Amino acid sequence: MTKKSNNRIRPFLPLLLLALVTLLTACSKSNRKDGLSASAKDSTLVISMLADADYINPVIGASVTSANITGLIYPTLLQNEFDPETGLLNYVAMEKKLRPSSPKAIGRSPKSALARSWTMAPDHLSITYILRNDAKWDDGHPITSHDFKFAYRMYGNPVIASPRQQALAELVGADRGQVDFDKAIETPDDTTLIFRFFKPVPEYIALAHTSMTPIPEHIWKEVKPQEFRESKLNQKPIGAGTYRLQAWNKQQDLILTSNKSCILPKPGNIKRIMFRVVPDYTVRLGQLQTGDVDVVENIKPEDFVSLTKTNSSIDVKAIGLKVYDYVGWMNIDQDYFHKTGKFRPHPLFGSAAVRLALTHAIDRQAIIDGFLGDYGVLCNTDISPSLKWAYDDTIKPHAFDQSLAVKLLEKEGWLPGADGIRQKNGKRFSFTLYSNAGNPRRNYACVVIQQNLKEIGIDCKIEFQESNVFFENLHNRKIDAWMAGWSIGLEIDPMDVWGSDLEKSRFNFPGYINPRIDQLCNLAKSKMRPEEARSYWIEYQKILHNDQPITFLYWIKETQGFNKRIQGAELNIAGTFYNIDDWTLKPSPRVAP
Amino acid sequence: MVKYILKRLLIAVPLIFGVLTLTFFIIRLAPGDPAAFFIQPGISPKVAEQIRAQYGLNDPLPVQYVKWLGNVLHGDFGRSFSRAQQPVLEVIAESLPVTMTIAILTLIANFAFGIVIGVISAVRQNTFLDRFLTVTALFFYSMPEFWFALMMIILFALKFPLFPVSGLNEVGAENYGTFGFVLDRIWHLALPVTVLSINGAAGIARYVRGSMLEVIRQDYIRTARAKGLSERAVILKHALRNALLPVVTLMGSSLPFIFSGALFIEVIFAFPGMGRVTVEAIFARDYPLIIANTFVSGALIVLGNLLSDVLYAVVDPRIKL
Repeated sequence: MTKKSNNRIRPFLPLLLLALVTLLTACSKSNRKDGLSASAKDSTLVISMLADADYINPVIGASVTSANITGLIYPTLLQNEFDPETGLLNYVAMEKKLRPSSPKAIGRSPKSALARSWTMAPDHLSITYILRNDAKWDDGHPITSHDFKFAYRMYGNPVIASPRQQALAELVGADRGQVDFDKAIETPDDTTLIFRFFKPVPEYIALAHTSMTPIPEHIWKEVKPQEFRESKLNQKPIGAGTYRLQAWNKQQDLILTSNKSCILPKPGNIKRIMFRVVPDYTVRLGQLQTGDVDVVENIKPEDFVSLTKTNSSIDVKAIGLKVYDYVGWMNIDQDYFHKTGKFRPHPLFGSAAVRLALTHAIDRQAIIDGFLGDYGVLCNTDISPSLKWAYDDTIKPHAFDQSLAVKLLEKEGWLPGADGIRQKNGKRFSFTLYSNAGNPRRNYACVVIQQNLKEIGIDCKIEFQESNVFFENLHNRKIDAWMAGWSIGLEIDPMDVWGSDLEKSRFNFPGYINPRIDQLCNLAKSKMRPEEARSYWIEYQKILHNDQPITFLYWIKETQGFNKRIQGAELNIAGTFYNIDDWTLKPSPRVAP
Repeated sequence: MVKYILKRLLIAVPLIFGVLTLTFFIIRLAPGDPAAFFIQPGISPKVAEQIRAQYGLNDPLPVQYVKWLGNVLHGDFGRSFSRAQQPVLEVIAESLPVTMTIAILTLIANFAFGIVIGVISAVRQNTFLDRFLTVTALFFYSMPEFWFALMMIILFALKFPLFPVSGLNEVGAENYGTFGFVLDRIWHLALPVTVLSINGAAGIARYVRGSMLEVIRQDYIRTARAKGLSERAVILKHALRNALLPVVTLMGSSLPFIFSGALFIEVIFAFPGMGRVTVEAIFARDYPLIIANTFVSGALIVLGNLLSDVLYAVVDPRIKL
């Protein structure tokens, strides 16, 4: 019996192996040579993404990827237009613009907007939109004002927990804790949509907050709020945008096809867009080199040379400046604050002069030169040079000057101790600088900072923590010094980060308290046009520059790898996929007979 | 034997529950917040609170545990926090086949290569070939898998583009037809399975070599040779069968290793399998998914051990269960 079975198996094994090997080589050959994948590729744009989209639903989608995809599938009330000249965002309806487009602004077709026009009430307490009447959802139902009102109810429903509910903060009733939708949003007919506010709202904010993406009421009205997130409808979104969802293989890829019936403004140029999940950076880079993917975001500067050398059809596009890194110094004695709720200066970093000394002691340019090269810019405050309408270009960056730093420290009473570390009243200037693990740029910067501080007699240890742990410690104001970063929004609204009420301003991690900053933020917000607030922002920047609540290090240009077959891509800080509707693909020479 | 298996399975139930309970408390006591993503400027402070309420994280820990226990006893492992509220069993149903395919292919390749190399180095003991195979095996055995995987990608996907860098299928593979689709899948699996199995095969080869050397010195082998049997028959029929006894038991216990290896491989090659799901779930503090994954891998380890014990009894009549 055993003999028999043994005899039966034995001749099979080598055969099986042989078969496997032939299969492998055969299929690698067939895929290399025949034009099947090549022709499919010519009509398919492949974008790599770090992680899968969460919800293809404008109400609950939270990740940037989701927002990018949602933007292609769903229609918008207004078209956004970014003006690189001023750094201002313009809002465009079919027949109206908030302000005339500057010649440098990359215009997008106003026909993609669902609104024909709008009227802001003179008292700024309401805004009325007139919608176009010919737009339809993909299933043929007309898009009406009721879809907007319905969507806003979903945005505001606490059970649904939309991450965008902040946009409803000015609607009638929001001041009393609950938006009164019947009064706040009126739909007298299918093409008229009125939003009412409880306080006067500047037009540009009203436009931003009332132009959230609608969802089709007739599809979603049967779904209970507690089942909104679980609903299978999230897997097959009904939109009206330039693309439709064709297939979504969770955690692998997501394929969009050009929406042939789209009139907002027209079907997408590229036939298919595939978003491919590639979690590992090295592999994403490899796929860009082999041409398997066309777009890889956030390429590290150190990889540029090898990338463009190995494949001349790759282009690196830089956008910025939106992201900065900083070293945070705890301004207040946090233990005392946690115990008593009262403030007293932090024993090391409580004095503005000490913080200024630390900034002077850190060679920020060396970090830029060593890691970011041309893709880093010295940072003075958190107002980006890209927001030209508010940026103060007269501020001179604090120079790298260690003798000045020493002078400042000694004036503050920090004198060298026996062990070479500065001391004041018996307290050594020694602390731990925390950051999140797995970020080579911050890793590099931390080491430079440690070295710089050692040179002036300050003992700085470095500790990297897992991101979740690090950010929890940061939020609970548990650490004295840290290195982190912020990505700024297109609207300047720093109250969350610098407001004096530490309960409300949850992101004021250092506990920086300056009532003038609160005043300036509120004054700026009260202006009906953002440009009118320029003088407040200038003062704001001067104060931050002098007080150094944190040491602003550098702005980082985000660098995106593009295959050169993509044509017409215009990137700006409003997004990598800002005008993806207008991109085209150059056919590969391989397919030509 | 059936009684033995049933007994082992019964013991496994409280064991796995213990593991799950421990996991339940450990992940909740660990720092980090599943709603942390929603704590950022521009997002209303209410959102994180609402999300936590949705996940049932505002209840006291014992209440959460009792609720969770009730659900799990009904077979409901809950919905994933980080994967758009997908039921976790659905997430696992999608990812387990991927990992199983890799694991089974790896297991086959492991043993096929391991046994062949082991037998050759035992038969040709102390020759140049043996030394070469030994050194090569040790070289691969001591190499970290993730690094090896990256090197393989650089070599066979970038320098000599024979295999794809990542993914389970080509763009547009749906249109290849079933046969083409499977071929494409195998083509994509070639590199990762090679990486995983070379490491394992090297280990198994050492085992086979050792056990084969022991067997070859036995009296009955000398008898077989004295009978005038061909060397081939002596080695493959008489020696190998006995030499494989200890190796067979490795089959069960190597499953957990293959699974943990698949973890790196899946992240590097971007396969949507269990390993990647687990890693991402841990970073996102996706409690239900972490627990369900622990359940699956715990069950697999218990079953793997049981399998190796049973296999031992099957191949060696001297052992009675």
